Amino acid sequence: MSDCDRIQEWLGAWLDGELPQARSAEVKLHVEKCAACAAEKVRIQRLDAALKRALEARVSDAAFAPFWAGVRERIAQEKSPRQRVFDWMRRGVAFPRIAWGVPVAAVVLIALFSTIRPSGWFVPSNQASVESIDGHGFNVALLREAKTKTTVIWLFENQETEDENPVEPAASEQAF
Amino acid sequence: MELTERDLIRNCQKGDSAAYEELTAKYYRRVLMVILGIVHHREDAMEVAQETFYKGFRNIKSFQGGSSFYTWIYRIAVNLAIDFQRRQKRAVADSRENMDDVVVASESLGTDPYRELRDRELGERLLAAIDELTPDHKAVILMRAVEGLSYKEIGRIMGCSEGTVMSRLHYARKKLQEKLGPDL
Amino acid sequence: MRIPSSLRRASKLFSLWLIFAAPLGAAEHPAVPVQLKIGTILATNQAECLDSQLAKLKQQLEVVKYRCYRLIREESKKSSWDTNTVFEIPGGRSLVVMPYEFRNARVALKVRLLEGEKPIVDTTVRFPNKGNFLLGGPAHEGGVLILSISAAAQ
Repeated sequence: MSDCDRIQEWLGAWLDGELPQARSAEVKLHVEKCAACAAEKVRIQRLDAALKRALEARVSDAAFAPFWAGVRERIAQEKSPRQRVFDWMRRGVAFPRIAWGVPVAAVVLIALFSTIRPSGWFVPSNQASVESIDGHGFNVALLREAKTKTTVIWLFENQETEDENPVEPAASEQAF
Repeated sequence: MELTERDLIRNCQKGDSAAYEELTAKYYRRVLMVILGIVHHREDAMEVAQETFYKGFRNIKSFQGGSSFYTWIYRIAVNLAIDFQRRQKRAVADSRENMDDVVVASESLGTDPYRELRDRELGERLLAAIDELTPDHKAVILMRAVEGLSYKEIGRIMGCSEGTVMSRLHYARKKLQEKLGPDL
Repeated sequence: MRIPSSLRRASKLFSLWLIFAAPLGAAEHPAVPVQLKIGTILATNQAECLDSQLAKLKQQLEVVKYRCYRLIREESKKSSWDTNTVFEIPGGRSLVVMPYEFRNARVALKVRLLEGEKPIVDTTVRFPNKGNFLLGGPAHEGGVLILSISAAAQ
């Protein structure tokens, strides 16, 4: 195995900063002197960058609202804690000694859920959430950026769709 | 006051779905990228990513904070994606056709259209090439190239040693370079 | 089965609490009107610029990747709950906003953007009180319009 073959085995790991110090120094020294290995290093960097860009481009239109709706739907299919309590109470009815607990527990639960709003499932998020979007003949993208708490609804004109949909007049005072 | 990630996780562990929504908003694209690289088919990737975050929500109480949240959620994502890919018998041609349908929204937002076009062509060839790797090789290169995870983190997620990560990465990069030839 | 008298008393107290406390928790929005503010921004790819009035929105605007942002109109109106308020937007457009709920310190708005009489988008958005969201994309004078829609309920 030539020097270059050996160095090229380690090039990726060296670029990733995963080689021990001594070996890292050896690779660095070689790459500084060898044009072929320096070119190979650039090819690896380009490959990684191109892969990242390609995937970033393919998920950039993945709007958060429909994505989260899918997750939320799965979560909702599970029994809620409240439902589990009611199920537990229903089972309790089968035992006469604790049957009286059912109406009392129901009163407590209803009172709790109707007065204590900002707790558990109801704690507010500090970012805007888009509950529905209807683009009339427009493609609509939803961008959300958590760091700056930015929510953007973006409209893209889509001539084909626009032509297919007849203009729908709407009175400005109509409640929608 | 802005909540830290640790606060959000603590709130999630108390059953706060709004906090979990924030965490999901922060990471869903990055998780989706890695899954898309493994399963290739856009709709499948969405499905697996949603399942990932659902499983994350269900198991958040078991999250001890020994690793970062994204390493934890990545482990779920990569395992689900690899399982999914192994189960799938979908024809490669069908997958490629679906990848082409994707509309890239951000391109229209003030970026250089020529660079985007060139990148897109290379990206399509690259994604076709990556689809020929095994799921394990795909996962390793995606986690490194896309996410910049360390070999230790990748090894933890994949359940293998750092040495195995290194050799898989070397093999995957070599294969992709061969496929793309001088275009790279 | 006989229910102990102490428990019967406790049940009555809970019932009273339920009757008087529940309606307080059920209020969906305050009696005072909501202050709506619409900033209309023209985003272009000309030389780099940021209107000084947009300094607070700088980070949010950077998400959409244009080079130049100018505030071309700003309008503030008080709106009653469940009532449409119309804002004029450049290019013969208008924005109809209806605040309809205030819960957990978050305001919910129904928003419709129209071009003439033709609706372009309908959306329902919920965001923190005094917060905002951006609605952008319509072409205008060599760039695009971005609307910053904010609401203060108290």
